[in-house]
Order: sequence, then C-alpha cells, then structure tokens
Amino acid sequence: MSATTWDATRFSKRLRASYSPRLLLSELLLKQWFEPVIPFTIMLGLFGYFAVSIHDYATFPNIQSLMRLYAEFGFVALGMAFSLISGGIDLSVGALFAVCNFATLFFLLVLGWPIAGVIAATVAVGAVLGGINGVLIGYLKARPFLTTLVTLIILRASVNLLNERYATVFATNTSDSTVWDFLGEGFVLGIPVNAAALFVTLLIGHVFLSRSRYGWHLTAIGASRKAARHAGIPVERMLFATYVLSGVLCAIGGIFYAARQSSTDSTTGVGWEFQALTAVVLGGVSLAGGKGTVWRAMIGGIIVFLLTNGLVRLGIAGYFTSAVIGIILLAAVCADVKWSKNRGKAVQKIYVNPARLPLSPAPSLRRESGTPFAQNDRLLAAEAIGLDQVEGPEDVLIDRQDRVYGSTRDGNIIRFSGPDLTRREVFAHIGGRPLGMQWDREENLIVAVAGMGVYGIRPDGQVFKVTDETNRTWYKLNDDSRLRMADDLDIGPDGRIWFSDCTTRYEMTTNSLDIIEGRPNGRLVVYDPATRKTTTVINHFHFPNGICVAHDGMSVLIGSTSLCQVFRYWIEGPNKGRLDLLIEHLPGFVDNINRASDGTYWLALVGIRTPAFDLAMRKPDFRLRMVKQVPIDEWLAPGLNHGCVLKFDETGRILESFWDPTGVNHSTLTSMREHRGYLYLGGLENNRIGRIRLPDADPDWTGYDAYWGNKRRDRH
Amino acid sequence: MGAFTHILRDLEQIFFPNRDQHPVPSMDGPFTPNSRLDTLEVIGDPLPGADDVAEGADGALYVSAGRQVWRLDGAGYARREVVATFDGDAGALAIHPDGGLLVGVASQGVVKIDRDGHRHWLREAAGTPVACVTAIAASPDGSILLCEGSARHAPDAWLRDLMEKNRAGRLLRCGPSLEQPAVLRQGLAWPDGLMTDGTTCWLAEAWTHRVTAFAADGRRSSAPRVILPNLPGYPARLAPASGGGFWLAMFAARTHLTEFVLREDDFRNEMMRTMEPHLWVGPALATTGDCYEPMQWGGLKALGIEKPWSPPRSYGLLARFDADGTPAESLHSRVGGRHHGITSVREAAQGLIVVSRGAGRILIDRTRARA
Repeated sequence: MSATTWDATRFSKRLRASYSPRLLLSELLLKQWFEPVIPFTIMLGLFGYFAVSIHDYATFPNIQSLMRLYAEFGFVALGMAFSLISGGIDLSVGALFAVCNFATLFFLLVLGWPIAGVIAATVAVGAVLGGINGVLIGYLKARPFLTTLVTLIILRASVNLLNERYATVFATNTSDSTVWDFLGEGFVLGIPVNAAALFVTLLIGHVFLSRSRYGWHLTAIGASRKAARHAGIPVERMLFATYVLSGVLCAIGGIFYAARQSSTDSTTGVGWEFQALTAVVLGGVSLAGGKGTVWRAMIGGIIVFLLTNGLVRLGIAGYFTSAVIGIILLAAVCADVKWSKNRGKAVQKIYVNPARLPLSPAPSLRRESGTPFAQNDRLLAAEAIGLDQVEGPEDVLIDRQDRVYGSTRDGNIIRFSGPDLTRREVFAHIGGRPLGMQWDREENLIVAVAGMGVYGIRPDGQVFKVTDETNRTWYKLNDDSRLRMADDLDIGPDGRIWFSDCTTRYEMTTNSLDIIEGRPNGRLVVYDPATRKTTTVINHFHFPNGICVAHDGMSVLIGSTSLCQVFRYWIEGPNKGRLDLLIEHLPGFVDNINRASDGTYWLALVGIRTPAFDLAMRKPDFRLRMVKQVPIDEWLAPGLNHGCVLKFDETGRILESFWDPTGVNHSTLTSMREHRGYLYLGGLENNRIGRIRLPDADPDWTGYDAYWGNKRRDRH
Repeated sequence: MGAFTHILRDLEQIFFPNRDQHPVPSMDGPFTPNSRLDTLEVIGDPLPGADDVAEGADGALYVSAGRQVWRLDGAGYARREVVATFDGDAGALAIHPDGGLLVGVASQGVVKIDRDGHRHWLREAAGTPVACVTAIAASPDGSILLCEGSARHAPDAWLRDLMEKNRAGRLLRCGPSLEQPAVLRQGLAWPDGLMTDGTTCWLAEAWTHRVTAFAADGRRSSAPRVILPNLPGYPARLAPASGGGFWLAMFAARTHLTEFVLREDDFRNEMMRTMEPHLWVGPALATTGDCYEPMQWGGLKALGIEKPWSPPRSYGLLARFDADGTPAESLHSRVGGRHHGITSVREAAQGLIVVSRGAGRILIDRTRARA
C-alpha cells in the first residue's frame, strides 16, 4: 500500500472515513425526535440551575410539590397544544380553567352534589364552553384567534362576577369528603394525584395523536385545512371536537385546582393562556399548525413553570418574570417560524460533506506511454445495435439464443433479436433505474434496480421482487435498511446474489454528489435464496459498483468507483470473509466487471482521472464550496466522454485495453459482456449497444454457460 | 472560513447594494447563442497560431501566425505569402497611416516595418522590456498606442497571468517611428484590445471583462469611462464597425467554475505548481480532446449528443456594439463547434474578417464588407 493512499480493506479506517461532525449534525437534523432536543436541554439546564441556586430544590419532597403545582397548568397547556396542532389557537383556556374551577366549587359547596356528579358536571361545563368555540370555529368558520379572544373576555368577565357573589360562600363552606381531599392532596405511588392524572392523560394523548386515525386527521387539518378537506377528512367535526377536547382538559385542570385550593379569586388562571402559548411554542409545537407532540408541549410547559416558580423563589418581582416569559415567547415564535421554514434548507446546506480522498498514482494513458492502458482506437469500429432505440443501457446481457438485453433509464429491459439484432421489444418494464443484470440458474434475468432493489424477470417477461431491504446498521442514524441504489450484481455457484448498493446517502439522480463527497457510503450486500434473507456483508465502502463472482466461485470482485480500485472479497475457502486489494493503480473510475472466456475479466472505466479532478479529490473544502457556489452543470467532473474497456487476469494484472478516446460511439461506457466471440458494450448515457469482434475469443462461450453450463471453471 | 466569506458577502450586498458583483452574465438578448461563426466561409488552409489581422491601404490582409506575418490578397484573399519572419511569435498587428506595418513580437518588442522594408524596434519603455505586446493602434496623427498584456509573462502564457490574477498590463504611447515611449496607464488587467479614432481611445481588459473609453489626445489619458462593464467572455481585439459602433472579439467564454477557481487560492496555486497549463481549470482557445483536460458535469455526452449548451472549455464569440456600448448582435461557435478562440476581427474591403486562433483559421463573412 503506497503512502499517498490509505487502506480501504480495513473496516476501522473506512468507518473513520465515513464520520464527520457536520455529517452527524445533518443526519440528526433530519430526525423527528431531534427537534425537541434543544427545549429538553433547556429544561434540564433550568432545573440544574435552580437546584444549585435554591436550597433544598432537588429534594424529593420539593419535586413532589413542584409536580403538584404544575399539573393543572399542564392540562391547560395540553389543551392549547391540541388547538395549535389543529391549525388554530385557543386563547380562552385560562378563562375556561377559571370558570371550571368556579363550577366545581359551586357544584360541590353550593349545590352539595356528590363528588362524581361534580366531576361529571364540571367536565360537561368545559365541554359545552369549548363546544361553543368549536361551533364558531369549525362550523361557522370564524377565525380561531378572534373567536377565542372573545370567549376569553366573556368568560373572564362572567367568572369575576360570579366570584364576587360566591367568594364568601366558598370561604365559609368546606367539604369533608375523603375523595375530595385525595384529589387535592393525595398521592399515587408517591406522585401527586393530579400529576399522575396528567401523565396518564399524556400517554392517552400521545397514542391518540400519533397512532390513531383521529390524531392523524387532526394533524392533517393543521398542516393544510384545504388538503385535509380534499382528502375527505370531516374538517368541521374534527375542529369542533378539538375545541371540546381543549375545554375538557381545562375542566380537568380546574377540578384539580379547586380540590387543591378550595377557593377562587379574580386572579385564578389569569394570563395562563399566554403562559400556555409560550410553553407550547417553546416546546416545538408549531404556530403554523400540523406539527407537535404532547411531549413537546409538556417540555415547554415545564420550562415556563420552572422559570416562573424558580424566579419567584429567588425573590424576583412578578412583573419581571412576566417580562421574561414574554421575551421567551417572542424568541420561541421567531425560532419556530424561521426553523420550520428553513430546516430543510439547513439540512441541505450541510448534507454534503466532502472528505479528503487522495487517490493512488495513476498509470499513464498516453498513446506513446507503452502501458497496457495506452489509448487506442479499437472501439471506433464498434458495430451499433439499436441505435437511438435505447436510452442509456447501463448493462448489457445476452441470452443463449443470442438475444441482447439492455437496462435503460426509462425503467425498461429492452431486448434486441433477429438475425441483425434489429427487432426491438420491451422485454419487461420494472420502473426505477435498472442497472446491472445477470442470469440465474433458471434463466431468470436478475437485475439491480436503483431506487427499488433487486428484481427478477422470468423468461416470459414476468417481473418479481427478489429483495428491497437489508439489515439496518444499528449504529447509523440514517435508516439504511432500504436499498437505495443497487448498482451491479452477480450470482455465486450456490445461487447467492451478491450486489453493490453504491450509496446510502444519495439517489440515482444525485449520485454524482457521492463521488464529489468521496466518503465510504456504499456497501456490498448478499441475498440468499435458500433463507430469503438479505445481509450487508461489507459496510462503509467507497462507491462499490462492478460486482463479479470469480471464475472459481471462491471470491467476489468489487470495483470501487470513487477509489479507482478493484477489491476481492473471499466468500469461500480458507480466506473466507477477507477483503483484499486486487488492483491498486487505475487511471479511471471503475464500473462493471464481468467474466471473459479465457478465464480473465473485463472491466469498464466510466471516467478518466484528470489531474484537476485528482487535485479536487485531495481538497475537500474546495469541493464543498464548489457544491455550494457553482451550479451543478458546472461542477468539475472526471473525464466522462470516452469509452474504455480493460482486461485483467486473476492476479489483477492489466492485460490490454480497448478505447474510444473521445467517445465518438461509446462515451460513459459502463459495461461489457463477452458472448460467442463478440464483446457487447453498454453505456450509462449512450444511445446504443455496441459490439466488437474478438478474434481470439472462444466462439462458443456464453455468459450463461460460464455460470451454469459447460463453460464453468469452478469444477475443474 | 466558508461561512465567514458568505457572511461577508451577504453584508457587502446589504451595505453596498450598488457595488459591482461581477457575476458571469447569462448569454441572452443580443448574446443569444447561435452557430453563425461555424457557418462562416474559411479562407484557404489553416494558419496555425493565427492571431491578429490588419488591412493594408492596398486592400491586402496582413495576418500574424506563429513567427510569421502573412499577406493575403486577390479575390477572396486566396493568394498568400509570408512578408516577415521573426525570432518570436508575431501577435498584434496594425497598419500605420504612413503605410508601415506594426507587429508585436513576443519577448522581442514591437517593430515597425516601413514601406521600404526598414525596421524600427521598440524594445523597452520606462526601463522595462516590452515583451508582451497584445494590441496596437495607430492614431490618424501618426502616434502609436500599444497594449502590453503583462509585464510578467509572454503573450502565450496568458492563462498563467489570469490564474496569478495579475494586474500588470500597461498602455504605452509613442511617436510615428516608435520613438519616445510614454506610459499612459499601468496596472491594467491584461489589456488586449485597442482602438482609436484620434480623440477617443477604447481599451479592452481581459481579466476584468470590460471595455473602457478615454480621451487620448496628447501624452496623457483622461480618467477612463466604462463602456462595457461585465462581458460574458474574455475580450480581445476591438475593431471599428461601419455605422459607428465597434466589433469585439472574445477569445473564450467565462464559466462559473473558472470564476470559482479564481476565488480558490489554495487549489489554484497547487494547480499551477503541479499541473501542465493546458490541463488547468480555466478558459482555453480550443478544445483539444486530450483525455486529461478537465471536464464539467454538464459536458457529459448524453445519448450520443455533445450538448452545445454545456459549460464551454473553449468558445467562439464575436459581438458588435453601438458606439455607446449597447450590444447589437453576436456570432457564436458553441461547444462542439469548429471556430473557437476568436482573437481578432476586422471589417475589410471584401467582407468581415474573423480570426479563430483556436482553429487556426481566417474566416470571412462576405455580406459584411466595409461600407
């Protein structure tokens, strides 16, 4: 191994090469669960701060009392969260809460109802008052902001009037019910009863919102009311139900508050609507609707509560606390708007993370260089098959009846037959981007399809799926179980299908970015028909492309496009499981590898390493800025407008080369297949399949026979 | 660092909205691409290294190519002969009002060949050698204006001068026999186009992609006025057009990648240090098909088609402007075209003469004979 490059056969090296802090951040930002991380950290930080600065703060009794103080506000915040997720807002939550608090005391102390009746009646009051909001907003299509503002004013005025009248009654009467005392001061498993109830409510709310049909409908309405209506969701009824739910949650909060305080005054629930709004937005429930979870609402709620409570205990004046909450609301709203608008862009901006990739020295291509790579014009004489009738036959395959198949960019397998190969037919339409192909023992055509996985086509043209996912890598943030870009495949003597999934971070349309990034994002995967299981064999590999099972069936040859090297992976024998470097120095970017009739191999070079591109590969920052500042079409690329086929033997020695130096007939040549004395040529972007005569080749040799028939070399 | 540059750029755009951004302009309007340069008639066999053209008083054309100056005359300029040979490459040409032939010779200086064959040389000005004459214009009063592309490089090292971001060009004026040279302006960005009518002088600067005009009577120049601020190509020779405007040859098109590499000091310096110039990322006079030439993704041949609109390594571009600098029309040879690297243009008696240095061809448009 030369000093300028590094050992890609070692897993630890490859793993390290695939790591970068920016890349980690970009993948984290793509995760839904990462969004509340910042509020969550703030919450823990606040608690830590007060634990340090307030005596006896982090003790169990204090935490119990904090929970008891918080729970009612939690219900109110939850009501606010549901209304926000539905795309509206419920400003009346604080007033509703106060009304329900009053109602509870009224039913209990003035009317003297039993506890169960009091609870049921109060919940009914909350539901009816919320229902008024719901009717106005859902059915009459009033603006949620104004509507609930009006209800806020009316309810607040009413509760003040009622308070004046009944305050003395409440103050002189008490209930001696133990159930009532339990609601006010009891514990469940050491947790205050109201906090326990809140927790249960949260669990139910979470399942409701994230797992139930109604929760999804609610979120859909919040994301786009019009689209939800078009999708057949009963928008009016759902909105009505949302405000009823908000009212009920406030009622539950009111009941617990009444049980705890047994009094009412004009400050009950004042300003709670704004605290709840601050809390919920701070937690990451979007003001724009359609985004949020109950947990985020709670995180925000706890932050606001800890802050209010802590500042008071630190002896800071109440108006100052209000100002702080106001500023936090402002900041949270700004962050919410900016974040939801720009998150995708932010991820996009840091998703591509080029790495330094010094390539090993390249042998010369110059005609006068005397290397086996020296350019010649041997492919200029190629005969064209299906000129302008195929779009980008990445791979070509020939069956035993001499019919030629090409995998094209329109998702088809095109077949040419007849004496002059002029009869064109669509053998099968798969979709995706079919790439590498091979025959299995039953003469099914097995094809790697970028964007889909590995598929098979029966001789009658019927398409079936072989596999589309592999095992997920446990330590990767990106779910890599789906096959992103199956590129080339080959089949071992035991029927196992070995294929390359060349990138797990990009798609067919953006795979040039993977080359620009120069990181080991690909993998070698195997499908075992016996167990129907798909397993990743080599992870973190630099753009694995060409795959060929060696003539003896003991190893798989893997072409790495971005490393410009060929590797051998042992699948049988004493070295089983070992990865070796087979060809270290290549002047171009490796594509497909296939068997040759004389026991050697064919290799296509899709691109030539130009000095400028090699230099760029050593300069990751240059490439990063290029990707950001220069339009895609203007990015520096390897030399792609040429065709090159190499031949190499089992030891990795290059024997000869076939060139179309300026790509007159065959530019971006990606594959070649030998068949009965001809070499057939395919190209990723070409408008034809080509073939040249191989005078010294075995005129009876076919690919099928080399794998499954009398031309096999793995038996003798 | 990247983020910091971005912030600086954004701040600059906020605080100085009128500051010249100098982005690559898109080719539209009068610059809409066509293939008119490819369809022009070719005069005779190739003249490898053909660079500049001038029309003599007798109607013959003088063309500099390699170390020689050729004289083309007769119908369709079919007859050609070598009239002068030098020790360096002959570049800029002009005909003096007295009939003498002015030739810029790489690494040698400027020579005026009188009608009687007598040669006057100018080899240095203000104590520095005049080694890189890129354009010559003779005033009707007999005084001679000279552009020196760079004090650091010979004319054929223009790409290195661009990549070093030099501003080392000079504008000189001297007497009718190249005597008493005076430096009118210096610190120019590869000036290589010059035109004068005796009172006003037009000057093209390649690396700043602009054409300026200034009064040039006497031994000083007035403050330059920018006529063309931001061209889509690298300007070369200027020539008067009938009807009052002027022709401007552009020897290559600007690309985003080149502009980007010009901002990337680390990459550019290593490129210059380790690679042969013809493999650098940058403009070229011709696309050679060398497999080691840098390529851009847009240049990928798709379905056997070389896209004419792909980012050009070399390009043919010639444009005509009104006297006030409004573009009137343009002639192109796009990617895959034949006539790239247009270095000179001249309206002559038999038609519009265009020199494609990339192809080593002299082209003629007979429909545009000098009015």
